[in-house]
Parts: sequence; structure tokens; C-alpha cells
Amino acid sequence: MSAISTTATAAADTATAGSIALAVDGVDKSFGGIRALTDCALAVGEGSITALIGPNGSGKTTLFNCITGFYQPERGQIYVRGVPILGRRPSDIVHLGVMRTFQVTRLFRRMTVLENMIVPVRQLTLRSLFTAAIKGHERERAEAHLEFVGLQALRDQPAESLSFGQQKLLELAAALMAEPDILMLDEPAGGLNPVMIEKLAGLVRELNTRGMTFLIIEHNMGFVMDLCDPVIVMHRGTVIAQGSPDVVREDPIVLDAYLGD
Amino acid sequence: MRIRRLAPVLALALFALLPIFVREGFYLDLLLFTFMYAAMSVGWDIMGGYAGYVSLGHVGFFGLGSYVAGLLVVHYGIPVFLSAPFVGLLAAVVGAGLGWISLRARGTSFVIVTLTFTYVVQLLALNLRGITGGSSGLYLPLLDLPGDLVILPFYYSMLALLVVAILVSIAIRRSKFGLGLIAIREEEGKADGSGVNTSLYKILAFAISVSFAGAAGALHAQYLNYVDPDLAFELIITLNLIIMSLVGSRGTVWGPVLGAFILMPLSQYLIYLTPSQIAGQVHLIALGVILVLVVMFMPDGIITTYGTWRRRRGTARPTDAESAQLPEAAA
Repeated sequence: MSAISTTATAAADTATAGSIALAVDGVDKSFGGIRALTDCALAVGEGSITALIGPNGSGKTTLFNCITGFYQPERGQIYVRGVPILGRRPSDIVHLGVMRTFQVTRLFRRMTVLENMIVPVRQLTLRSLFTAAIKGHERERAEAHLEFVGLQALRDQPAESLSFGQQKLLELAAALMAEPDILMLDEPAGGLNPVMIEKLAGLVRELNTRGMTFLIIEHNMGFVMDLCDPVIVMHRGTVIAQGSPDVVREDPIVLDAYLGD
Repeated sequence: MRIRRLAPVLALALFALLPIFVREGFYLDLLLFTFMYAAMSVGWDIMGGYAGYVSLGHVGFFGLGSYVAGLLVVHYGIPVFLSAPFVGLLAAVVGAGLGWISLRARGTSFVIVTLTFTYVVQLLALNLRGITGGSSGLYLPLLDLPGDLVILPFYYSMLALLVVAILVSIAIRRSKFGLGLIAIREEEGKADGSGVNTSLYKILAFAISVSFAGAAGALHAQYLNYVDPDLAFELIITLNLIIMSLVGSRGTVWGPVLGAFILMPLSQYLIYLTPSQIAGQVHLIALGVILVLVVMFMPDGIITTYGTWRRRRGTARPTDAESAQLPEAAA
């Protein structure tokens, strides 16, 4: 353990603090006999762009799935701004302001780009359910987000017809429709060309200046080190280090576990 | 475009005026049943087409509606035309309860639960003899109308039910709720992760879906002046709804209507052609053959297949019908 303490107790202490957007406290998750997460604990500061890195199989995506309600951990607790969320379904967690993208892009492939944008729901009200979906304020928001990611011209195309990079951007734009406070991106730069990666980094920075908190899983170290601070490192289902990019880059444990591979 | 938008209004006007010119009971009866099946199929499609959850239990709600309306008229003298909307509402409440049990999980358990529900309600109707009349059934009082006019209130009631069903289906398809249902059909896990409360959406969709079966059952019981457990809970009623929806195009507003308007006259013609001893069996076989043919050669149904064909020819703009289709049609 280095740089900053990442024990379960520390995360629990910080979970209720106002500056912490997301806290994971002593989470365990197993699949059969394989322990994917062991006493995993971390905290994500409000307004930060936090990276979550680690070798393949270190439990990063499993942790994402636990935070967003797709998996239920066997032990521990997860807090969103001090509110415990364990046992809640994914949609409830979205309503708390946490939205995510997936490592392998998951879109409603046969829907149009615009329809994909309209599906996400931040707040469930009867009025929002039964008003016309693709017109008015909702449509304006969708088109604004599509313009933001440069996909407005493709709004009437089926999502499956987009290129891989465009699908990544669409997933990001659709996530923004839920007006998240915390956006979790799972390998957003994976498979993108350098131009697209630069564009993505610019988008994240701009959203961050508007107050959005990010937790990003990424293997592209250039992307991570330029964009994120702090960086949290996972290995074998637990957090082994966290701190600024410079601190993590020099950490011998990290070098041994990940960067030195 | 204007003609396409006007077509449903013109059709409605035609059907509304038809009884003035056509006094032949057979044709009005045929249309009445076509309206009824179309309304129920549109309702079924809200769950089976939009959300992609196949219900085999709609006939259970049809039978429930028949019995509740029958009992209300027999014991309390409440006319079916008054009670039918409330029977539909009751079916929706029961449907929400059944959905709460079966729809919180994903997968095929829903199909089994809905089928079981049908048999449970049928058994209740059969065994609660003191209330339902058991296997002897329940006789409803005749309407106090001249013989040649007695069909008209049912004709217009079923037509009104169909209009309401279509309007509700259009409203759902255009709403965020409808888009959420289609998202559930496309990828339920992703929908949940997008903030769509999938359980709530499915329960709500199922409740709306079965309300039309409940109301139709109520009107049907009074139309026949009789209800019994075999008549009210015939599984073939649900199968008809499914096949109509598949033939027309599942997940579209107009598909189930088109399916009903093709299959009901066809069924009646077959029954008319074949000897009465085997008419039922021939009808069943015909339905089976149609189902196999549709699945093999036109799995997307008529409207979607036609839309795809026109787009491939590159001559068409999306039609109203297509714009109300499932995404695969737009793909």
C-alpha cells in the first residue's frame, strides 16, 4: 500500500464527507471459487477525474459492475455521496446520478441514434413517461449532446450502422442524457484512433469543468496520465495504490504489479 | 402523407356508418368480432411486441372480465356497457399484481406464470359453483331491444374499444415509456443501466395490455348472454391474438389490427366452408399452418416486411406505420 491509505476504514470514514462523490468500503465479490474483489476500498473525490487502472483481471470492471448495481457484492458497502447503495437495482443508481458506459459498447443497436439518446431516464415521473419522447425539450437536449460529440448528422441512422468509435461517442452522449453527477467510463479510449482519443479527452475535460465527476477505467497510459488525477491502481481484486499520476508512475509496487509487466 | 393520416379516420367513419347500410347480421357479427380481436391483439402487442414479453394469459383476463361483468349484471343489475370500463380497470389491477409476481425477474418464467394464471382462474370459475354456476355457466339477462337492433350496441362498443386501444398504443409508442419498453426488448440489462426501471415498465405495460382483454370479455359475455369456463378461457383466444400480431407485424401499432382484419374473416370463411363437426379442428390446423408460414417466410410480419422491401427499393420515405414500428424495421 502506498501514497494514500486505501483501507476499508478510510473509505468508510470518507464516505460521508461532503467532498467524496463515491466511496467503496471493503467490498468482496466472488464468482464460484474465484475472488474477483477482496476487501476493495476506494474513494472518488467530488469533481475529480479519477482513473482506475490495473492489469487485466485485476477486478476493475467487476468493481464497476458492483458500483452500478449489475453485481451484488457479498460483503462491504458502496456510498454515493454518503448514501449506501448496495442492493439497489441499476436504474435506482442511475437515478442517484451515477451513469456508466461499458467496456464492450452496449447500445440499442436497432434503434436510431436519436432514440438511443432518448431512452436514459434520470428522474422517473408519470409526466416524463407519457409525454411524447422525440420532440420538444428532450429532443433539443438530445441534439445538443449529439452535436457535442459530433454525431448530430447521424441522428436518424440505426446505432448499429455507426463505426466503433462513433458508437463509443454515442454511448457517452446517451449517458449524458441522464444528467449524471458521476460518470463512469469503462475503457473509453479502447479501439479509438489518436484523433478520436484526443477528442474524447477534450469532451471529458469540458464536462469536468461543468462539475461532472469521472471514474475512468483505461489501459491507455498516455490518456490516463494526461487527463486523470488521482490514479487508483488495482491488482488481484484490491486497491494497491493511489495518488497523483507522478506518484503512481514511480511507485515500485505499481511498477511491479502493472506498469512493469 | 395526408392520405395516410386520413385513412384511419376514413375507416372509422366507414365502420361507424356501415350498420346504416348493411343490416345483414352475419357481416356485423364478423366485424364486431374482428374489432374485439383487433383491440385485444393491439393490447397484447403492448406487452408482447413493444416489450418483447410473450403472454399466454390474456384469455385469463378475458374470462375474468366475462365473469365479473356477468356477475355484476346478474346480481346487481349493472349493465355491461357501464361496467366494461371498470372491468378493464380491474383486469389492469389484477394484471399489475400478476406482473409484480412474475415480471421482476427476466426470462421465460413470465410465459409460464401467465399460462398458469389462466388455468387458475378457469378452475375457480369451474369450482366456485355457488357464485359462477360452475360448468353450467352463467346466464345473463337479454337486452331489451328489438332483435335486429340488439347487435348495434355491441358493434359500437367493440369499435370504441378498438379505437381506444389504437390511441393508447400510439400514445405509448410515441412516449418515453414506449421507447423504454422497446429498450427492454432490445437489451434489458442496458435499459436498466440507463435508468429505465424495467420491472415498473413491464408491470405497467402488462396492466395496460390486459385491460383491453378484460373489457372485451365483459362485452363478449353480454353479447352471448352467457359465459362458461370452457367458452371464456379457450386458449385459442390468446393464440389468435399472438398470430394476428405476428401476421400484421409485432411491435407496431397497426400490425395487430391488420392481422385481425385478415385472420378473422379468413377464420369465419373456413368455418363456413367446412362441416360443423370438424370446423374447430380445421380452424386450429389453419392457425398452425399460418403460424409456421409466417415464422418461416415473413418473421417480421406484413407491415415491417413491406416497409423493408420499399426501403430496399429506395423509393420510399418512412411511412406512418413504419415510424411506429420496432427498431428492426427502421434498421
